Amino acid sequence: MNDTTRKTLTYLLGATMLLVFAGFSYSKFTSALTPYVSYEKAIESERAVQVAGGLEQGSSMYDDTEGLLRFTLVDPERPGETMRVRYEGLKPANFEDAISIVAIGQYDAGAEEFAANDLLVKCPSKYQGVEEYDEKSYGSESAPSVEPAMMTTNTAASSG
Amino acid sequence: MLEALSHLYLPGALTLWCAIFFGVATLWGYARALRDDGASLGFARSGYLFFTLSILLAGAVLFLALWRRDFRIEYVQQYSGMELAEHFQLAAFWAGQKGSFLIWLMWGAVLGLPLLRTAGRSEPTVMSVYLLTLFGLLFILVRENPFVMLPETPMDGAGLNPLLQDDWMVIHPPIMFIGYASAAVPFSFALAALWRGDFSTWATRAFPWALAGFLVLGLAIMLGGYWAYETLGWGGYWGWDPVENASLIPWLIGGVLIHGLYLERSRGRYRRLNLVLSCLLYLSVLYGTFLTRSGVLADFSVHSFVDLGISGWLVALMAFFFFASIFLLATRLRHVPTRTNEDPMLSRGTALVLATLTLGASALVVTFGTSAPLITGWFMESPGQVGPEFYNTVNMPLALMLSILLATVPFLTWRGVEPGKLLRRLVPSFLAAVAITVLGLIIGLEEVFHAVFLFLAAWASTANLHRVIELVRDRGVVGIGGYLSHVGVGVMLIGVLASGAYDQSAKVTLPQGEAVAVDDMSFTFTRFIPRQGREKERMEVLVERGNDRFTLYPKLFVNDRTRQLMANPDIRTTPLQDLYVSPIQYLPPQPPRVDERVDMAQGERVRIGPLDIRFIDYQVEGGDPRVALASGRSVEVGAVLEVSRDGDSQRLEPIFRFRSDGRVETPPLELAQSGTLALTGIDPNSGRIQLDILGVQADELPARLSIDVTQKPLIQLVWLGLAIILTGGGLSTLKRFKTVRKLDEQEAAAAAVG
Repeated sequence: MNDTTRKTLTYLLGATMLLVFAGFSYSKFTSALTPYVSYEKAIESERAVQVAGGLEQGSSMYDDTEGLLRFTLVDPERPGETMRVRYEGLKPANFEDAISIVAIGQYDAGAEEFAANDLLVKCPSKYQGVEEYDEKSYGSESAPSVEPAMMTTNTAASSG
Repeated sequence: MLEALSHLYLPGALTLWCAIFFGVATLWGYARALRDDGASLGFARSGYLFFTLSILLAGAVLFLALWRRDFRIEYVQQYSGMELAEHFQLAAFWAGQKGSFLIWLMWGAVLGLPLLRTAGRSEPTVMSVYLLTLFGLLFILVRENPFVMLPETPMDGAGLNPLLQDDWMVIHPPIMFIGYASAAVPFSFALAALWRGDFSTWATRAFPWALAGFLVLGLAIMLGGYWAYETLGWGGYWGWDPVENASLIPWLIGGVLIHGLYLERSRGRYRRLNLVLSCLLYLSVLYGTFLTRSGVLADFSVHSFVDLGISGWLVALMAFFFFASIFLLATRLRHVPTRTNEDPMLSRGTALVLATLTLGASALVVTFGTSAPLITGWFMESPGQVGPEFYNTVNMPLALMLSILLATVPFLTWRGVEPGKLLRRLVPSFLAAVAITVLGLIIGLEEVFHAVFLFLAAWASTANLHRVIELVRDRGVVGIGGYLSHVGVGVMLIGVLASGAYDQSAKVTLPQGEAVAVDDMSFTFTRFIPRQGREKERMEVLVERGNDRFTLYPKLFVNDRTRQLMANPDIRTTPLQDLYVSPIQYLPPQPPRVDERVDMAQGERVRIGPLDIRFIDYQVEGGDPRVALASGRSVEVGAVLEVSRDGDSQRLEPIFRFRSDGRVETPPLELAQSGTLALTGIDPNSGRIQLDILGVQADELPARLSIDVTQKPLIQLVWLGLAIILTGGGLSTLKRFKTVRKLDEQEAAAAAVG
């Protein structure tokens, strides 16, 4: 094998490796992607998706011994469209004040509800400072020695 | 005119205008210096000095305003407060967007001073480009002025987000911004080289700057990771969040660039690519800033980014530098002399090319993943995002590839080596890596894949360590920088594997005073320590493990500003592992008889002793209250509640009655097992109701604390590895600055002869 063929082979090998990696990344990308969909699509979908909406008043139920949260999302653009959501995990603080909730997960046809793995909760924003850093907070309503949370605003999102 | 200015704090605003003035003067000076053979250099340099002083003064004014708690200034009001401790006034400086851009600009201006001394003959062009990058930030600041005043002076500020009241937050952001500011330096050298068409020395001059920037950004990322780990309580140091990725992408590109510059310096390769990479480095900093500051990812991140009206500016800035780079690259790149690749297969050159490809691929996939919401928004029906899983999986083969390269590169030379000789050289480090892997298997590695990963990472470390030892023995510490950094990369990868794949986590509830066993440890929640001054509410947890007894104090408190419940972990660090205790929930002790007054909003649910009360809806009877009261009838407002106890629920509709004679009646209702409940108040503004619950008999229960206990093996290696990388990089940086000094001397000598 002379030098030129060897070099050509090297380049070919390199290009193949890059292509394989590109293909691998792309397939991982499409499988890891959780698209934002409507409730209707979420029910049909067989993959993890994210749905967003407002919290239906009085729909949230939290069992703090089991750490199980259930609530109903209302589509702000299509009123009347709702989605029951189940989330196993700690209830994000100030959950009731949320102006918008994003639930990431998959529809559970057996239980007829959306099983969320993760919640992104957006609360009304008054301050601009808090958004810069992550507030991954854990919590339930039973805060120690503090008065119950009043109707103050909450900028930071939280995820359980 | 004056009216438009009256809302600005003049001392501060003036400094920014002065900066613009001196900046323009400097540009004019450098433009003249291009034509008069450097006669105007003195003028331009003084101009730049005054430019820098103006910007530093702007920073000083803002800092003094924070220090004096001058709440007339909106920024001070937003981020500071009477309660805020003195040393956190610094954290308040960069807590917001405006202050962040200001500290970025301050560092940029300061870095320009040594830059103009190391730019050599290309100083006028390099400094002109560099000043333009600073002007971009300056215009954003003039537009989003940190010195805006409020129409009235408030008594107190909003206070600083408690998460940022942390020592790490005092130092992490400013270091990050040194890194961001330094990315403009290689960019300026590259554009200046393209502009002048002189490609002979820019790489030598830009190299130490690229290295220094890479180091500082790496240090900042490490500090940020540590802050997340010890403050946020979710148990990790890296979550692949857009904010984190925004700093990782420039770091990876910087990694490619320093290896590319090394190739150019040593072998004359990558001459064109390095120009492109320098542009990409700076553009990636702008792009990351755009992603995280413009609100485009608002729906996709737990950080609720807001658009403060600067996204247009950021886009304009990005577009300007993007098209300037494209234009210069497109027109000038073909004039760059290149050298054909004559490196043999098994040589350092090939390994370096592969390493740059690997790092570049990582930068590309992280950029792609972080931009997923934008990309999918354009090309697909519904935008989506990717989670940590994507980044972990995709970067895994790259980390393995990098480890192999790292292990072989210390024994490869530019001219190539015989395969046999290479193998002989690799034997000691190979055996050492095998020994480490066997040790890992004995301790408890579970998967073959993990063993392979450990072996390669360990080999990367041992091979480079071998080379470092040889070099120190033969030639002293000069030239060990690169190898030492690579030792650190291997160590860090081992730490990432061990702490990421072998952490053990358990959620336990601890009744006060009772020891609960977890693994081989015992946890006792001894007491709840109320807030003392600035010290937040803490939980005292006694941990016993064999003969080792210690106390941890995880915190659980309500954020004064957001009313959100916050948890801060406490960490017990030992050489081999961290014990990470994060509080989840605290239930106060339940007395035998409960009498309590609560207020709740519609939809809310509260727990009072054994009762679980949900406020479902209101019930208003009696028509229009005014008409009813005027005609002598009473008005009733009721609430529909669901009250559950021990699994049995009961629907209660307590009422609040206004009688026409002005009296109020709040008849109590009997609760199922014991006690009464009455609706004793309604706030017409907030819609909240007040309930009085009396005489509920309950079982006496101790306070309970739920915690998340995580054991993170070998996490110290992550920090140790990073520290080694930075030390090695520091040595290389010093070496490369010395090369620049030598180049200066040569040029001075050549000028004297000429």
